[in-house]
Amino acid sequence: MMRIAVKGIGVTGGFGCGVADLAAALKGGISRVSEITVPSAQGPLQMPAFRAETERLDEFVPKRALRRIDHYSKMGLLGAYLALADGGMLGSDLSRLGVVVASGYGATATTFAFLDSIIGDGDICASPTHFANSVHNSAAANISIMLGAKGPSLTVSQFDMSVPSALVSASQWLAEGRVDAVLFGAIDEVSDLIGYLQHRQRGPQRACPISPLSTGEESSIIGEGAAFLLLTRKDDSLAYCTIETVDTGSLYQEELSFPDDALLLLGADGRRELGARYRATVPGHSRVACYTSIYGSMPAAAAFDLAAAALILQNGRVYPIPGAAGCDMDGIPVPLETTRICALKLAGINEYAAVTLSRLQLP
Amino acid sequence: MTHPWPIAITGLGCICAAGTNLDDCMETLYSGRRAPAAPTRFTSSHPTRYPVFEVSGFNEPPELLRTSALGLHAVRDALADAGLDLETLRGLRVGVCVGTTVGSAMNNEQFCRDYRAGLDPDLEPIERIMRSNPAAVIAREFGLTGPCQTVVNACASGTDAVGLAASWIRGGVCDVAIAGGADELGRITYNGFISLMITDDSPCKPFDRNRKGLNLGEGAAMLVLESEETRTKRRSRARSYLLGYGSACDAHHLTAPKPDGEGLRYAIAEAFSCCGISAEAVSFVNAHGTGTPDNDRVESLVLADLLPGVPFLSTKGYTGHTLGAAGAIEAVFTIACLERGMIPGSAGFSTPDPDLGGTPVEGSTKVEGMVALSESLAFGGNNSVILLGTRGAA
Repeated sequence: MMRIAVKGIGVTGGFGCGVADLAAALKGGISRVSEITVPSAQGPLQMPAFRAETERLDEFVPKRALRRIDHYSKMGLLGAYLALADGGMLGSDLSRLGVVVASGYGATATTFAFLDSIIGDGDICASPTHFANSVHNSAAANISIMLGAKGPSLTVSQFDMSVPSALVSASQWLAEGRVDAVLFGAIDEVSDLIGYLQHRQRGPQRACPISPLSTGEESSIIGEGAAFLLLTRKDDSLAYCTIETVDTGSLYQEELSFPDDALLLLGADGRRELGARYRATVPGHSRVACYTSIYGSMPAAAAFDLAAAALILQNGRVYPIPGAAGCDMDGIPVPLETTRICALKLAGINEYAAVTLSRLQLP
Repeated sequence: MTHPWPIAITGLGCICAAGTNLDDCMETLYSGRRAPAAPTRFTSSHPTRYPVFEVSGFNEPPELLRTSALGLHAVRDALADAGLDLETLRGLRVGVCVGTTVGSAMNNEQFCRDYRAGLDPDLEPIERIMRSNPAAVIAREFGLTGPCQTVVNACASGTDAVGLAASWIRGGVCDVAIAGGADELGRITYNGFISLMITDDSPCKPFDRNRKGLNLGEGAAMLVLESEETRTKRRSRARSYLLGYGSACDAHHLTAPKPDGEGLRYAIAEAFSCCGISAEAVSFVNAHGTGTPDNDRVESLVLADLLPGVPFLSTKGYTGHTLGAAGAIEAVFTIACLERGMIPGSAGFSTPDPDLGGTPVEGSTKVEGMVALSESLAFGGNNSVILLGTRGAA
């Protein structure tokens, strides 16, 4: 695979907004967990959640232009603008820019609101605005419209594997020369539906830190946010790191192999059943890290992992691993340095993705 | 590593209101038959019963969304057509790229109704959605090991999935790719499109002066794409070739195409550039042709400018608008028409519209040549185009 340079990062999530906030949260090992209230048959449920703010969008877009844009798309827009600004491309010619958005669940609050319009008032009162904004590619469309980006646009929804799956196609666009840069990002949001499903599927929620490396217990906390990377073909200009390979698919009898010198950045997020898969997959001698306790459990977390990996590789030092004390994996947490990271994402019973990133070789 | 265009297509499968396999569909198209009717699989409180194109006689298993079941049906036909059995598939790295609009949406109406009513609804509808991601279902069903992608580019999803799968083959990401689209009819899209006031209350009339909008449909189509190395090893024949793919965003409006068709023009230009093919080589265009006033105006304007005199048609008069499946169904129809040297009449068209750039073919029409173009326009301003050719065109 052709090497790809990560030139810019744009993030908003529970930890704050922008690459500096993400770096600070990773360094300090802490993030802000909010409390949300979700309706249920037993009455309002209080549960922890990582919420993302979008106030900084005002720096890039007039408020009037955002009137009909929902929270889901606003998070995407903010991530996109921040990544372009971080990569020095804001205000540049974007005619050769591709936009790729991955989302596990799409705009669930708006989807739910559309259903509400039917359920509450009858079919004839279905809301056209909610319907138009509930379409999965609405965020990518809003990003393209706001930026005037007229290159190819792609939205992928593959649940937990959305991010690595979309990255396969983004990489090909660059390799084929279809575009000179890709604004690649992921978005997921917290909504009543997502909160309620978390409660039903995972039991009562507590505001304890996620313990992603403690594979025996359920500790996931839902999160929302957007993580965008500005990707280009590798050149001599400054970048955070390079993406060397993107490998994704399904395993049957095969076993995964990893680069010997790579730190494994695990996408474990406190979901017990997935924790068990990571435990079974990660070789015992591996050096491992995991930062989902900074941004929460959501399909888009895989893009936050890539952003964290890019920051580590730029600095050359691994951030402390939150929750490492509870680690019961065979891998060794708390590595000090690394020049190569393999971001490992597992889902379902046999789906996997391994994205290998490496530090830039300085001349 | 990027292999050159074209990419071989070795298998086709299709199911829609026009038929449950490709041969039956083509027979329906050439006969000019169509039978849109009020929905039978769901009810609506709309005073008007907007016609739809349902796939009759097809029942999905309870554990899967109908979308994924339709997709599996089309995959089985496509794999049989390609001569790929399970044993052969297991020796290859096979990717799956499928377009859809509803196949990955968390929007079960009954679940939400019960939840809003203060109940603790059964989670089964949500769990069914979670295990029904169309691309993942296909990979799981056939034990495929390669990349898996569900494309949700609204109504261009099917065309994009085919183009992206070709990109994977070119990049050596997989040896074989199963690509296409699948979507089912349901109350959510039915009510949504009616709310946007782009649905016709009579059988749709693409490119007609009296067109009022689209009719929804459902279905799936799949194509098997193979690398030349794989095809050589297994001595498979190329039924057709994907000669080029282009896509571009209007960056204009969430639900309306840009009036000058700028994005569509870019997409067509990119598709032509892949194989260095010129507009003169195109024997016909399978247009998006939804029957909405805006879509048909923009599309006919662009075709008149870029492909003047080239016959075009919309097959949505036979299938309805199958959303994420449309591009794939139309790609399969396009190949079948190239093979037969004949395109069906554009169902629903009878009165030319002086405001449009041209008129579609009215009855079955002989076409010569080896190349055809199929295009999709979508919400979000997505425009996607693929160029398809017979064996002689490669």
